[in-house]
Amino acid sequence: MLRLLATIRKEWLLLLRDRTGLTLLFAMPVVLITVMALIEDAPFRDYQELKFDILTVDNDGGRLGKYIKEGLGQTSQFNVIDSVEGAPVTEQQARSLVNEGNYQICIIIPKGATGAIVSNANKIVNDISRRMGMPENVLPVSNRKDSLHVTVYFDPASKKAFKSAIHQALDNFLTQVETDMLLERIKKQLKRKDAGEENDSMNIQLKAVGLKEQLTGPSQELDVISNSVQHNVPAWSIFAMFFIVIPIAGNMIREREDGSMLRMKLIPGSYLAILAGKMLFFVGVCVVQFYLMMQVGIYLLPLLGLPQLTLGQSFLAAFIVAIGIGLAATSYGILVGTVFKTPNQALNFGAISIVILSAIGGIWIPLEIMPPHMQMIGHLSPLSWGLDAINDIYLRNVGVSHIWGDVGKLVVFAIVLLCIAAGIEKRRLS
Amino acid sequence: MLVQELHKTYKGALEPSLKGLSFSFPEGSIVGLLGPNGAGKTTTISILCGLVKADAGQVQIFDQQQNAANREAIKKLIGVVPQQIALFPHLTAIENLEYFGNLYGLKGKPLRSLIDQYLQAFGLEKAGHKQVRHYSGGMKRRTNIIAAILHQPRLLILDEPTAGVDVQSRTMILQFLREYNQQGVSIVYTSHLLDEAQTICSEVVIIDEGHAVVQGGTAELIARHDDCRNLEDVFLHYTGHALRD
Repeated sequence: MLRLLATIRKEWLLLLRDRTGLTLLFAMPVVLITVMALIEDAPFRDYQELKFDILTVDNDGGRLGKYIKEGLGQTSQFNVIDSVEGAPVTEQQARSLVNEGNYQICIIIPKGATGAIVSNANKIVNDISRRMGMPENVLPVSNRKDSLHVTVYFDPASKKAFKSAIHQALDNFLTQVETDMLLERIKKQLKRKDAGEENDSMNIQLKAVGLKEQLTGPSQELDVISNSVQHNVPAWSIFAMFFIVIPIAGNMIREREDGSMLRMKLIPGSYLAILAGKMLFFVGVCVVQFYLMMQVGIYLLPLLGLPQLTLGQSFLAAFIVAIGIGLAATSYGILVGTVFKTPNQALNFGAISIVILSAIGGIWIPLEIMPPHMQMIGHLSPLSWGLDAINDIYLRNVGVSHIWGDVGKLVVFAIVLLCIAAGIEKRRLS
Repeated sequence: MLVQELHKTYKGALEPSLKGLSFSFPEGSIVGLLGPNGAGKTTTISILCGLVKADAGQVQIFDQQQNAANREAIKKLIGVVPQQIALFPHLTAIENLEYFGNLYGLKGKPLRSLIDQYLQAFGLEKAGHKQVRHYSGGMKRRTNIIAAILHQPRLLILDEPTAGVDVQSRTMILQFLREYNQQGVSIVYTSHLLDEAQTICSEVVIIDEGHAVVQGGTAELIARHDDCRNLEDVFLHYTGHALRD
């Protein structure tokens, strides 16, 4: 125990006197997290909080145009614009504005669109009436043969997901108008049939089954949206924690070069106790880093206009995950410090390997939006295990019982790396 | 100390480092382990300390065989002063010595009083709270020695303890080693400074190409050859003038 405590004290004194190292360990991650959260705020807001202006050219002037404009206007995501500089926007003008990138989308509702829908509904009702032996051809039907289309123009730079969302919304509006009109006509026809009877059998409810959104987490009172802060703060904290590889590897190589490691090995007693002290200290540093970064998400980022970080409800689970990440990062540092002979080699390999592991591990962009084969590779990165566990706690609001899978992987990773490092060191001595 | 028929070839090495090295000396001696570069001195010291395992042969220190079972017990008996300044440069001398003392299981007031005693003995009492990186070469060497003797070893092994130090520090270090030896501590000392070895060593083992070429009392070896006036002449007599890589 004395060896372990003495080593922790020694590492503490060394860290305190290394101001550059301290800055790299604590100040740089704060800057990194702040910058990344600010930069990635806009892409994250795209589909959540940002309002898009949609140009609408209503050549129809009927119910379809009204439905579409009202429907889009009622969502929180779109501003419906139907006039520019006080004059109704024309089709040509709208196309040109979208093409120049001034607007992301423009919707052209063709002349006669409502009429076409009405005519189609009438045709269906007439047909039903005929089959039911009721008076036929009561409702007027247009002889128009060509089909009409609501045309949508997108900014060429628009994202595929955005286009797909707009398509879906417009399709819904069209279906709704067509269904409403059909229903109206059916009602009218049935009324005509039941004329004189007292009971009103026309109370038709269109939506028998509705849609209800519910959270899946154990504590459903939390409603956390994955935003820039919610992704970037934990993600880049894990990245920064893994950067502890650089000081650990440098520290070990220096100790080997200046002979102090040799002296430690010449002293009776297990070197493992010294190594354990070193690991405990650096795991502690990682945990402190983690909580410092969380404070940035809670207090600093909201001052810069970003959302506040939500921590979930299991602080114990987050603490266990932070220790797991610290163990994995520290063991990686010990392996790098054992394998490489100079601080320069360790610095280059350590830094580049962490950047690669973080890129494939979903730190830069969430794993979910990567191609399937990259997702498979990404799940092999220890950074992704840490991030998955933190996301489970912060977004899905899970507790300690749900994180053991990821924490287990981090601990096994740490043990495997330490065994490899021990094997290399033994081989070196022989 | 008894060293018998030591053999060692490192993995991947073309030549063995030790080829049947044997020597012995009685407790209480100051032995100079001398040899040109590549002779096998560092490998010998590493085997004596238990850091490296010999391929064959045996080492006996104070009646204990150097093997896996006795390794820890032997480590308690020996102190090693490596050629490098094996200290943490950003810690003060006291912090370094406290740390290494703790690793030896020493703590509290007894450790602190031992540190104060040695700092005074080595003329470092005023510099104890200074970070080692601000020390001169001589001060670093002196602190390096203190770190190896905190646990009161019975055998002290020094690898070029006076390399790169000024005359004053060197004189001080050699004087300390003589006094320390008079307290009954055996000393194994390697150096390329043969005049220094001549003044301090009671026994000398000259090794070359992995084996001992001669062993004996320093004065006796010089007297053995008419053409040798000092230890350097003896050294060249046995190892030749050819340059070593």
